Amino acid sequence: MSLNYAYHSAIAGIGATPFTKDSGRTPMDQAVEACLAACEDAGLPPEKVNGMVTYSAEQNPEIEVARNLGIDELTHFSMVHHGGGAACGVVAVACQAIYSGAADYVLCYRAFNERSWHRFGAGVQDRPAGAEASEVSFSWSSPFGLVTPASWVAMFATRYMHEYGATTEDFGRVSVVDRDFAATNPYAHFFQRPITLEDHQNSRWIVEPLRLLDCCQETDGAQALLVTTAERAKDLKQKPAVIASAAQGVAEDQHMMRSYYRETITGIPEMGLCARQLYETSGLSADDIQTAIIYDHFTPLVLPQLEEFGFCERGEAKDFIRDGHLGRDGRLPINTNGGQLGEAYIHGLNGIAEGVRQIRGTSVNQIDNVDNVLATAGTAVPTSALLLSQPR
Amino acid sequence: MSEVMTDEQKEAFVAKLRKEVGSTGTPTTARDPVNQPMIRHWCDSMEDANPLYVDPDAASQGPHSEIVAPPAMLNAWTMVGNVPRVNDPQDPASGVYAKLDEAGYVGVVATNSEHVYHRYLKLGDHLTGTVKLVDVSEEKQTALGIGHFVTTETEYLNQHGDHVGSMFFRILKFRPGTGRTASTGGDSDSGAERPPRPRPSRNQDTDFFWQGSRVGELRIQKCLNCGYLQHPPGTRCPACGSTDMGYVTASGKGALYSYVVSHHPRVPSFDYPLNIGLVELEEGVRLVTNITDCDADQLKVGMPLQAWHMQTHEDVSIPVFRPARAPRNPSTLTPDEVSVGDELPLCPIPLTPTLIVSTAIASRDYQDVHHDRDMALKKGSEDIFMNILTSSGLSARYISDWAGPDAVFKNLKIRLGAPNYPYDCMTMSGSVTAKRESDGEDIVEVSFRGQNSRGPHVTGTVELALARK
Repeated sequence: MSLNYAYHSAIAGIGATPFTKDSGRTPMDQAVEACLAACEDAGLPPEKVNGMVTYSAEQNPEIEVARNLGIDELTHFSMVHHGGGAACGVVAVACQAIYSGAADYVLCYRAFNERSWHRFGAGVQDRPAGAEASEVSFSWSSPFGLVTPASWVAMFATRYMHEYGATTEDFGRVSVVDRDFAATNPYAHFFQRPITLEDHQNSRWIVEPLRLLDCCQETDGAQALLVTTAERAKDLKQKPAVIASAAQGVAEDQHMMRSYYRETITGIPEMGLCARQLYETSGLSADDIQTAIIYDHFTPLVLPQLEEFGFCERGEAKDFIRDGHLGRDGRLPINTNGGQLGEAYIHGLNGIAEGVRQIRGTSVNQIDNVDNVLATAGTAVPTSALLLSQPR
Repeated sequence: MSEVMTDEQKEAFVAKLRKEVGSTGTPTTARDPVNQPMIRHWCDSMEDANPLYVDPDAASQGPHSEIVAPPAMLNAWTMVGNVPRVNDPQDPASGVYAKLDEAGYVGVVATNSEHVYHRYLKLGDHLTGTVKLVDVSEEKQTALGIGHFVTTETEYLNQHGDHVGSMFFRILKFRPGTGRTASTGGDSDSGAERPPRPRPSRNQDTDFFWQGSRVGELRIQKCLNCGYLQHPPGTRCPACGSTDMGYVTASGKGALYSYVVSHHPRVPSFDYPLNIGLVELEEGVRLVTNITDCDADQLKVGMPLQAWHMQTHEDVSIPVFRPARAPRNPSTLTPDEVSVGDELPLCPIPLTPTLIVSTAIASRDYQDVHHDRDMALKKGSEDIFMNILTSSGLSARYISDWAGPDAVFKNLKIRLGAPNYPYDCMTMSGSVTAKRESDGEDIVEVSFRGQNSRGPHVTGTVELALARK
């Protein structure tokens, strides 16, 4: 496996709508606004776009977005499976399309009214029960009331705590870091509203061991990324964020959010598979990464991600976090936009945009001397990750 | 005079009830001496397998050197049996009960029983009990109804005049239909029709599992070629590639691998907080399920569990788990092996109608509310319910299964709360709350609780003497 497209493409433009709790607009309207903004950011006329990649749970078909953008021809269009787990996967597929020559400029986007219309947090309680495998798989959990993403993740969290001695305070420290960065990000929902660990510990249970402040927001909004070759990106308006590598992963006995049947459930082997690919194909290692966007739909799974990427040993993420390494002056500041707990939940894509800003040097919480940024996608599902680098 | 009384009338009524407080009734002699058949019947119905009660060889090696009766049987020996009750006009307690019946307080439940054991009863001991009226309370509003608590104390002597034990006993005599609105446990919307749980969907690959659960079997897919087990089921063996798939019926024994306690959002089909577990079966595979009959704070990774099948739809049952009954401790704990704060293993007691009826009869309690559903309903109960001697007997069994056969009960004090109705489950829990030396004996105090779906049925304490090695 070589991922020939390492360092070949770059993110040349980013665009988003305001992140709100009740947009009062259609998701389609927001999708179009975000895509246009990404093109404007790059200084590229939208009609030049000839590829579009989005990911499952997207309800705004690329053909309608293209029609609204005035794009006449698309030569690559694809839908990557598994929701938030595909946040970096869309970029990987865009890279593949560009490297193969199937497309020159590819828009990746996510748009939804995930707070005011369809709340993911409600889970699958109303899921119709068909006989297809995708529906039958819910029979092993829904009849027992395990119906929400929070509950699916909580099952991993309890076991992780049991095996490694992590506590809900360690989860809370992730939340405190996110909210600290959000507090200084005017674009974040929780701008100027930091929390303390005590606030976290006092927040109500959602699904033990997860409290309210361990759970990401639900957001109305849209985010788009424009991907092209690193060469073409040089001719556009912004400093390119070179995609050093981008990879997807499914590991042994994978299930959707409920891979509970493996020998051990304290790691995230599909994320380990992504890490292996990224490091092997980029030539980079954990030591080369100055800041990271660690997917934070729920705080507990931030810990094993740090382990899978080698920022600390297995079971030691709690110590890494207790030592303050995720915060502003730490070894690895994470989610400098405030993450999905603090800024907004745009299914991971807003985090990748923050990664781009860290490469450009334009983040409101800019980290010094950033050479490489890691971004990860939704955990417990089939997942993906990417590395962004300074242009060479 | 079942109409509502004025305050003055109430005062006069209580004064009348209290006239005999302090006096004792006629001694009542047991119909039979302590005997093996009654002991055996008690042990069978309570599932108490302590050999000191039934096995002469084991008993001869034990602390009493011969067969003894289970201590909790103390007041069973002098129960009248299934013969018409004759109110003894000399007996002050009977007199109070009669006055209360007359005044409309016809409902009766026992609320407290406190046994003190001076020595264990041996075959041939012939007991006489003498009841003293100790107290009659003011009128009280209780969950069951408006009523009076009547407290008695009974001293037990054998045929030689040996003082073998005593019992402090309290009952509530109440007016049926005057209780606070019955709480049904949980915090579900009262009265609202509860929608069924999400119905499992199935296809040709998974049907065997749900067919099994319907008939009380937990079936795990097994490769018929290489024997590999997997859950959830697939269409092809990931180990050997065979498509020849069958199943094994699992024992239902497992351990808690992980768990969550769900609070939000609330799906109307479930009670919250909701215990959801990931159980590892002894066969090696895991499954998501509910952990029933235990509080969220009693969940512990590794705890032993036992499957049962919960019917959720007319044609669907799902496998769920409750704490497994710990095996009886065949040796006996020494004082050194016990520390204050030690927790006893949880013990579920499924409340079958058979258990409730057979234990009532084994304790010679023929009150109709314990075996006759029609009469129980007529007296304001939802169903037949467990009698207090059984609550004592099961509590004692729970403690003795943990402490071992040679532990000597010095006393057993229980207080009843939510009734034990059929088809529920009572889960016993307990912890060591004190340890001391008294008259050269090492005494350990255990506090315990038996909780059903409505709340605590029984709470109590027991003091045990444990022998050093």
